[in-house]
Amino acid sequence: MTTTLTPTPVPTGTSTRRCGRLPSWGLSAVGALGLAAAGALPWLVNAYVISLAATALVMAVLAMSAQLLVGWAGLAPLGQAAYLVVGAYTAASIATATSLGPLQLLAATAAGAVAAAVTGLLAVRARGTTFLMVTFGLGELVHAAANQWAPGGSEGVHAPPVVALPGLPPMVRPGWVYLYVLACTLVIGVAVAILVRTRFALLLRGIAAHEPRVQAAGHHTGWMLLAAYTLAGGIAGAAGALAIAVTRYVSPADAAMGISALALAAALIGSGSMTGACAGAILLVAARDWASGLLGGHGPTLLGLAFLLLAYLPRHRLAGLTTRFPRRRT
Amino acid sequence: MSSPLLRLEAVSRSYGARHAVDEVSLDLHSGARHAIIGPNGAGKSTLLHLIAGSLRPTGGRIHYAGHDIGRWPAHRRARAGIARTWQHPALARPLTAVQNVLLAVPGQRLTAIRPQPRAVAAAHTALAQVGLTELAERTAAQLAYGDQRRLDIAVALAAQPRLLLLDEPSAGLATSEVTRLAGLIRTLPADIAVLLVDHNLDFVSAVANTVTVLHHGQHITTGTPTEIRDHPDVRRVYLGTDTPTSPTPDSRATTAAVGTPVLRVRNLQAGYTGAPVLTDITLDVPAGQVTAVVGRNGAGKTTLINTIAGLHPAQPGTEILLHGQPLTGYDARRRARAGLGTVPQGRRLFAGLTVEEHLTLPRPHPTRSKTVDTRHVLDLFPALAQRRHHQPHQLSGGEQQMLALARALLAAPDALLLDEPSEGLAPAVVGQLATIITSLAATGTAVLLAEQNLALACQVAHDIAVLDRTRIVRHITTADIREDPAELHDPLTVPTTTPTPS
Repeated sequence: MTTTLTPTPVPTGTSTRRCGRLPSWGLSAVGALGLAAAGALPWLVNAYVISLAATALVMAVLAMSAQLLVGWAGLAPLGQAAYLVVGAYTAASIATATSLGPLQLLAATAAGAVAAAVTGLLAVRARGTTFLMVTFGLGELVHAAANQWAPGGSEGVHAPPVVALPGLPPMVRPGWVYLYVLACTLVIGVAVAILVRTRFALLLRGIAAHEPRVQAAGHHTGWMLLAAYTLAGGIAGAAGALAIAVTRYVSPADAAMGISALALAAALIGSGSMTGACAGAILLVAARDWASGLLGGHGPTLLGLAFLLLAYLPRHRLAGLTTRFPRRRT
Repeated sequence: MSSPLLRLEAVSRSYGARHAVDEVSLDLHSGARHAIIGPNGAGKSTLLHLIAGSLRPTGGRIHYAGHDIGRWPAHRRARAGIARTWQHPALARPLTAVQNVLLAVPGQRLTAIRPQPRAVAAAHTALAQVGLTELAERTAAQLAYGDQRRLDIAVALAAQPRLLLLDEPSAGLATSEVTRLAGLIRTLPADIAVLLVDHNLDFVSAVANTVTVLHHGQHITTGTPTEIRDHPDVRRVYLGTDTPTSPTPDSRATTAAVGTPVLRVRNLQAGYTGAPVLTDITLDVPAGQVTAVVGRNGAGKTTLINTIAGLHPAQPGTEILLHGQPLTGYDARRRARAGLGTVPQGRRLFAGLTVEEHLTLPRPHPTRSKTVDTRHVLDLFPALAQRRHHQPHQLSGGEQQMLALARALLAAPDALLLDEPSEGLAPAVVGQLATIITSLAATGTAVLLAEQNLALACQVAHDIAVLDRTRIVRHITTADIREDPAELHDPLTVPTTTPTPS
């Protein structure tokens, strides 16, 4: 179990912002070890575990998308899977023209961002529980729309294997797909790590803590939240392209609330840090899919127990690194 | 004379039938130092909200620098140079002090990974202006209340405003800090206009050239501080000099049936993340007496109240006894059930509940013998009777304080903890508050009062404990202070060393 759980595939830099326990070299050492373990995974475990690990990475990207909203802007989203599905359908659609993975990734990111920008006009008017309701409603609408109008209907669509770089053969073996997804996740992770260090991210935290104060400092908080929502939608769209690379299949069921809830739960387990959100996503996928196979179908039981445990254990002790106790408004 | 920077033309704001601000007109020129005073509920804070854009006027016009800004959103007004503070500190509590200030420093790119050195320098200048340089890296949540208020002002200054709106800047600050704040406002660049709301008349006189008095949302008069003090209407509505002053010490001495201490505190120790805030605190609060704890900001007054109430963990060795029953292992709920009542700083009212709902919530626990007569409690607070269907945000500061007090009293506490009840209250209301506290003690309640307002503490308390640098440095009876008023002066106003970390 540890082989799949310990790697934290996002650069260690994300956690340095708020950690106070480990010395900086210790942290980079842990990160380098994790990265090495994550890279060596295809040579260590069987194909089934490898494909699960790739799924876990997709969830980690989706969890980062949710974390940008809940951990930074203080708004808990319950519909991020909608933008994942938008990204996945986009990637599947352009797969008929090109099977080049990075191109699909860019197109899916753009589509997720555009979808989030349009729907976000509604979402960012709400705060707290209302925001949760609105994003849930938007997610269900996308689910219904995909059933109705998307190619393939409720059956979903299949996509050919993706090509990592021009000239390379299509990736069929799970090990190569996993390494491609790992590389993409790292790139997205670096981009997110830069994003959360900008002044924009600081202002988002200010809005989460006291919105009128940020307004009085001369910032249009509505536009900033819409920008954050759009960025989160873009990240979720990128996760959709990675999902296509892993499963080569997308169906409206991927927009179901369960996926969004899993992403939100992973973000909340991550207690305000991007590394934590990724670790939470990997943990949840492992509990749901991998340990469930070992326990003979008791995955949901394990998931439920894990949620209770994670909620009641002090988070700083769990994460070991993060020291912040965010006061969320939701 | 040039056209004013800010001109209010018959600005009004009503909540239903109630006029919070009723056709107020005002001119403010660049460099003005203008104060607004008035009793609680006069509409002072509402007026600041209308200018800052967090509320829209229901009538009238607001002109600022040649524009009609009545319909501008708050952020646009902020960009035009209007900065403001709030009545209670409005800070991003998880962020550090310097990050809070950086939120407001203008001219920074959104995509900047690190704040530009120029912006950081500006933030530190703003922090230095209010004397918070040493606390720059602490989170706002860790700062003492008075320091949070100063940080609030630093955030407003960092925006380099042309018009600075300060909502009760001196509330919650100790005398020396108020003096310093007055100096700071006087030394602001001459082209900044300052409009402030405050209750501290000495502070207002020291800072403002012009004073406007509001009452029930209406403009009473505008003039120099001296004119205002002598204005008969002002004396009547605001200073409350016509009403009889609080009971004399003699009348109280007769009522004080001094029994055994109801609340005993022994060797109380508490701290935040290892840094001691309180060491070796020993206090007795007898029935029917008021014990006041005074001290500068950050001395640990609020921590003391919270530790006794069970809201902050005490360190081992601490003994807190109510009627001889140890409370140390109890959580806040069981302490309240045992007969401990708390009125926290900042009132902590329930935002969505009406006054009536607030007052139906608390009841003495069935296990307690003491009963409470609701009507009798409400008789103490006549102002609340007319506000039964209002929510806290529709109440004035004074009414909120009365509601917090009434809520605590309805649980029939044997010992009542009051944390800075006079903060943000008009002098006349402070007078009423003194009367109420005195009459509470007369009915046999033991009262522990943490207070910045030394005059109030001396007026109502029988005993005063001076808190300085984590410990009680002196116990004085009020009678001694009357003979030698200078005795309290030193520990409260002269910082002997840098303030201890809180």
